[in-house]
Amino acid sequence: MTKIEAPPERLATFRIVLGIFVTGYLLVRSPVFVELGHRSPGRFDAVGIFRVIGQPIPHPINSVVVAATIVAGALFTVGWRFRVTGPVFALGLLIVATHRSSWGQLLHFENLMTLHVIVVAFARSADAWSLDALRRAHTRVEVSGPHSPADRPPIDRYGHALHLAALTTVITYVIAGVAKLRYGGFEWMDGDTLRNHIAYSATRLELLGERRPPLAVLAVEHSVLLRPAGVASVAIELLAPLALLGGRWRNGWVIVAWLMHVGIFATMLVGFPSPLFLVAFAPMFALERVVLALRRRT
Amino acid sequence: MVTVQHDSTRGWQRRVSEMSARSRRGSVSTLLLAGFLLFPVLVDSDDFPLSTYPMYSSARGQEVSFVTAYGIDAAGESVALGIGTIGGTDDPLIATGELRSAIRLGQAADRCGEIASRVDPNDGITVVEVVTERHDVIEHTLDRSSIVERTVHATCRVES
Repeated sequence: MTKIEAPPERLATFRIVLGIFVTGYLLVRSPVFVELGHRSPGRFDAVGIFRVIGQPIPHPINSVVVAATIVAGALFTVGWRFRVTGPVFALGLLIVATHRSSWGQLLHFENLMTLHVIVVAFARSADAWSLDALRRAHTRVEVSGPHSPADRPPIDRYGHALHLAALTTVITYVIAGVAKLRYGGFEWMDGDTLRNHIAYSATRLELLGERRPPLAVLAVEHSVLLRPAGVASVAIELLAPLALLGGRWRNGWVIVAWLMHVGIFATMLVGFPSPLFLVAFAPMFALERVVLALRRRT
Repeated sequence: MVTVQHDSTRGWQRRVSEMSARSRRGSVSTLLLAGFLLFPVLVDSDDFPLSTYPMYSSARGQEVSFVTAYGIDAAGESVALGIGTIGGTDDPLIATGELRSAIRLGQAADRCGEIASRVDPNDGITVVEVVTERHDVIEHTLDRSSIVERTVHATCRVES
């Protein structure tokens, strides 16, 4: 199983990786988020927390919320006043991402990153490798001298947050697999459905005046290969809990899940950024060892 | 010496007690999280950020209806407009989702005007039309004749 014990540096590494990715994503996509403030309220179709509010965020408040969320994301990443900036970033991201999905089309590629940020924001994710940790270490040295390894906080404190983040990844895949069987039935695995989805994505893009995905024609022409691909994609999603076993099970599942996303992107131009950039899988690994190894080398 | 041992034992007991309390909290938070994430599946309700992830999950047939918009030039030829012009976005999901929603709500003419206002005057396009087209998607992807049905919802002029 995913180990509950983890050093503070492991959770800190995930905070930094997630923070860089989500803040970068918001920065790159900020024109799209800002543009929402200029839309007619008549087109607003509230989801999530906006069902309570019932109306869109007007311009210029929307632009301020987007900018503040990006700033909070940067502070989340460096771990400055994390007990405040962490939850502020999580709330800001929840607002801007929910706002974006509230215009008649639910977008499913921002769910996982939002859930991960919520998990990390409310954990002790800045106890190491953060400005907060630097400030605390500086204060401690001034008061009582250098600290010993015995002063380190208990290691099970940090593993829970990583375990929750990994569990979130796993459950979202299982739900996606269940959805295919629930809404598509076993037809999803006969290959024709996958072929039709690929052809549908290519046709939709072309009718909108865009280029078709690079491997769409190849996939449709060789649709006999799509039958095993259809079965494999459902199996990968339903078997996601294997990743929680760790070791080779986890590594094998992550590799095939990532290849599935690469395949989806190449044949349908549908990109799920968090798994494509491997951030969705980061809480399953001892990433701090990579950082420490790199440090030792330099 | 005895006092030190006593303190050490008490300290050890306190740490074990703290760890088991954290472990209980961890188990509760794991169950709560799993419950939250799985709740939409139980009630079959897609939302944000808790979702049933229904994208691309339905069994799709070969014939599909698409909403889109075309430009028509002075010679009467149909011209592709691009996602940015049609939807004011770079996301095909948003562009088609909003156009479909506008057609459903009887706002196709308003949306046609919006699209026309985004058309570059130098493109030679004089008219925009908002349509639903039914295509055989396999035939279309393989560059063969694919259109089955076509409905024009709105037509509007491009101001030069």
